[in-house]
Amino acid sequence: MNNMITSSGSQREYTPSDRIQCDAFQQMCEATACVQNSALKRWKENGGKVVGFLCSMAPDELLIAANMLGFRVRGTGSTNTDLADNYFTNLNCTFPRHCLNMAMEGEYEFLDGILYLNSCDHIRRLYDNWKLNIDTEFIELIALPRQTGPDQVKFFTEEFQMIREKLESHFKIKITDDALRDAIKLGNETRRLQRRMYDLRKQDDPPITGAEVLTVMVAGTAMPKTEYNVLLRELLEELEGKQGSGKEYRARLMITGGVLDDPKWINAVEEVGGLVVADGLCFGGRIMWEDIDETIEDPIEALGRYYLADRPSCPRVVDKQEERAEFTANMFKEFNCDGIVGAKMVFCDQWNVENYMLKSDMHEQEIPFMSVEREYITSGTGQLKTRIQAFIESLGK
Amino acid sequence: MSSSSSTVEENNTVIDQPVMVKEPSIAKFREEVVNWGLLYDSVATIEDPDFRINAELAKLVRDARKSIVDAFDEGRPFISNNYCTAPEVSKAMGLPSYMLFEAPFIPSSKEVLGDQLDHTAAMGLGPDLCTAIRSGIYYVEQGLVPLPAAMIGFIFPCDGMPMLHQVIKHNKFWKDMPLFCPDPPYFQDPRSIDYFANELKKMVSFLHNATGATLDMDKLKEIIDESNKQYLLWQEYNELRRARPSPHGYDIGGAKCFCVSQMFSVGEPDGTEWFGKLVKLAEDKVEQGLGSTPQEKIRMFWFDIMPPNWADELFPILAQEYGAVCVMDMFGNSPYTTIDTSSEESIWQGMAKRGLFDTPMVRQAIGPAEGFLDDLTRIVRDYEIDVVVWPGHMGHKESLGTYGIIREACKDLGVHFLDLRVDILDGRFVEKDETLDKFARFFKNKGLA
Ligand code: SF4
Ligand code: SF4
Repeated sequence: MNNMITSSGSQREYTPSDRIQCDAFQQMCEATACVQNSALKRWKENGGKVVGFLCSMAPDELLIAANMLGFRVRGTGSTNTDLADNYFTNLNCTFPRHCLNMAMEGEYEFLDGILYLNSCDHIRRLYDNWKLNIDTEFIELIALPRQTGPDQVKFFTEEFQMIREKLESHFKIKITDDALRDAIKLGNETRRLQRRMYDLRKQDDPPITGAEVLTVMVAGTAMPKTEYNVLLRELLEELEGKQGSGKEYRARLMITGGVLDDPKWINAVEEVGGLVVADGLCFGGRIMWEDIDETIEDPIEALGRYYLADRPSCPRVVDKQEERAEFTANMFKEFNCDGIVGAKMVFCDQWNVENYMLKSDMHEQEIPFMSVEREYITSGTGQLKTRIQAFIESLGK
Repeated sequence: MSSSSSTVEENNTVIDQPVMVKEPSIAKFREEVVNWGLLYDSVATIEDPDFRINAELAKLVRDARKSIVDAFDEGRPFISNNYCTAPEVSKAMGLPSYMLFEAPFIPSSKEVLGDQLDHTAAMGLGPDLCTAIRSGIYYVEQGLVPLPAAMIGFIFPCDGMPMLHQVIKHNKFWKDMPLFCPDPPYFQDPRSIDYFANELKKMVSFLHNATGATLDMDKLKEIIDESNKQYLLWQEYNELRRARPSPHGYDIGGAKCFCVSQMFSVGEPDGTEWFGKLVKLAEDKVEQGLGSTPQEKIRMFWFDIMPPNWADELFPILAQEYGAVCVMDMFGNSPYTTIDTSSEESIWQGMAKRGLFDTPMVRQAIGPAEGFLDDLTRIVRDYEIDVVVWPGHMGHKESLGTYGIIREACKDLGVHFLDLRVDILDGRFVEKDETLDKFARFFKNKGLA
């Protein structure tokens, strides 16, 4: 068991590296467990630029083509929100509060720039508060439409083009179409490798747990893609052909929900017998289920189309709820799940209502669905475990 | 549920439209026609001018509701529209409309709102979701609003509204209803206005296809010209409110001006007449040096929506005990610009701008925090505000995220900042006495009482 109880009764930190010992996985664990990981530090030491982004609809490929490291901003390691609470209230989602707090503590000084999208009410205010409090030299917000028709794709593509030009002028670089095409190929390669990893979860006894998969996925947003792809290939070589994670489980679960980047949370679910084999998370299935279309002539348009309209959407996209429900149901079936856990962050209006609709959609198809609330930083998993246990029992497992 | 069909002949095309005939869904509207009418009639003889100006609003609401009931009964199409998606257009197309989202904001909902909100928890909605959205979802899911022939959605300025519209599309009775949501831009630049103007143009074709109605640009111009008159009068009225003492407090003007100009009497002479009377009323009081309370001491700016259900329990006490008067609120002073009707393009641009950057709540919340700051600065200066009351409505996640920005801006402006954290709709969120205590301690600590 990874999550040992110490003699004092407190829980020892979950470290997914305990089980899969290969070096590639160890490096990914390190990248997920902290913000300033070794790969990022090496990149900086070699003079590389790092641009942070929130959220998963930011065009990472644009940064890759600019020869920059795109880093998805997280609050990993944050222990409180004392500084941020001078700017946010206790009725705001804890994710942006922890991110701002870390930035105010200087943990994000390594960023050369940051790209925001108005993904939700809390994140767009993180942009405002970041602008006010943090001295990041390049801060931009990409306006995100709420629908996916041709006019919206055009508008969003223009937004990407404008950001491209701003990056070029601020950092005095040129982002060529060829570099963009190469970046798209590289990003698609990452997505293909990640899907190969997900395929392993379809097995009756998968060689990788849900917590480990999340570790690998989060690492992909924190280190150079070329390096990450090499590590992921190594990991796949280690796992493919193997059976079982050594973890006993009673039910196969799928997780949906907003920002979840902490493998400890998944581990808590898995500790009580719910093996997480699929997810619709934006650090998981939603960011790699589809490839960017490499046949579209204008690479910026390919990016605009992919990030707004083609990849599995998040609840803020108004005209795709039916598609999202279908995506969830299909994944549930494809991965032979027993039930779905909808994890919603407290004060997240988007996932609040999304889960409300999803629950009824799933019930229509006789797919068991349970909603749970969570805070960004995982602590005190007792209640979660009790609920998961009860859910598993309700599944007759 | 049964349905009948109405036929509209238009350019030799015959369009068959399903018209929802579902009595329970219209029952509440019928009730409102009667109740607003009774209210209006029962106060017809009361002379008090302050009272009368609000009572006349009852007639405008009654007439607006009646237009829906009549259309329903006669099988004519009616739609659901919103204050920030160019209501002038549907008016010009001759389509009666109601705003789905308004239910919790009208006083007639007060008695049942608490139970309805409690019920949404049983339905599976988390209590951290804005009560306005929860209530909107409740009304749709329980079939308490009549199914329109088409709907213009309003998917800004918060996260809740787009989710409400997804529930509408998800509901088994509403899912086939034609729904068009003009897509909102984020910034307030010319490109964003062009984008939204184009969305509004698409809305016209949508409404035509869904209802058969057509848009006559001359009629639209006429309506906008009339609405321009309303906005100019509103501005005049707001100028008068700057007086010391301010002629009116929380209960006159404010959001009611918005209700007349953007919801119940859009571009109608009746509404213009109402504004005219309001201006006259304020002029008389200013001339006589009369305020809303005998001794105005503290001038407050309520920086959010005025609570429709519990303002009456709060403000009279504040006025009486501390001489604290709400001289302005966030809905009361949107600097509506008049629309240039000299060309078609200027009309579309003007309506886009009006919808996005003039309409209250939307103008402040849709984009970056500067939207709040500009209004804060303007109002604090123009109205010589002593205290900015920041209600921190539990649903306004984006405004809650500007807490520090607004607090610091108040400091820079040299004005007191009171952080309340309430639910503007559900008075149970925080006990009234607790809120009053907060005011009392605040006034005392700041040396205002
Ligand atoms: S979990 Fe919800 S509220 Fe929190 S950052 Fe994500 S979308 Fe926003
Ligand atoms: S009250 Fe505020 S949060 Fe609630 S729906 Fe309206 S704009 Fe959105």
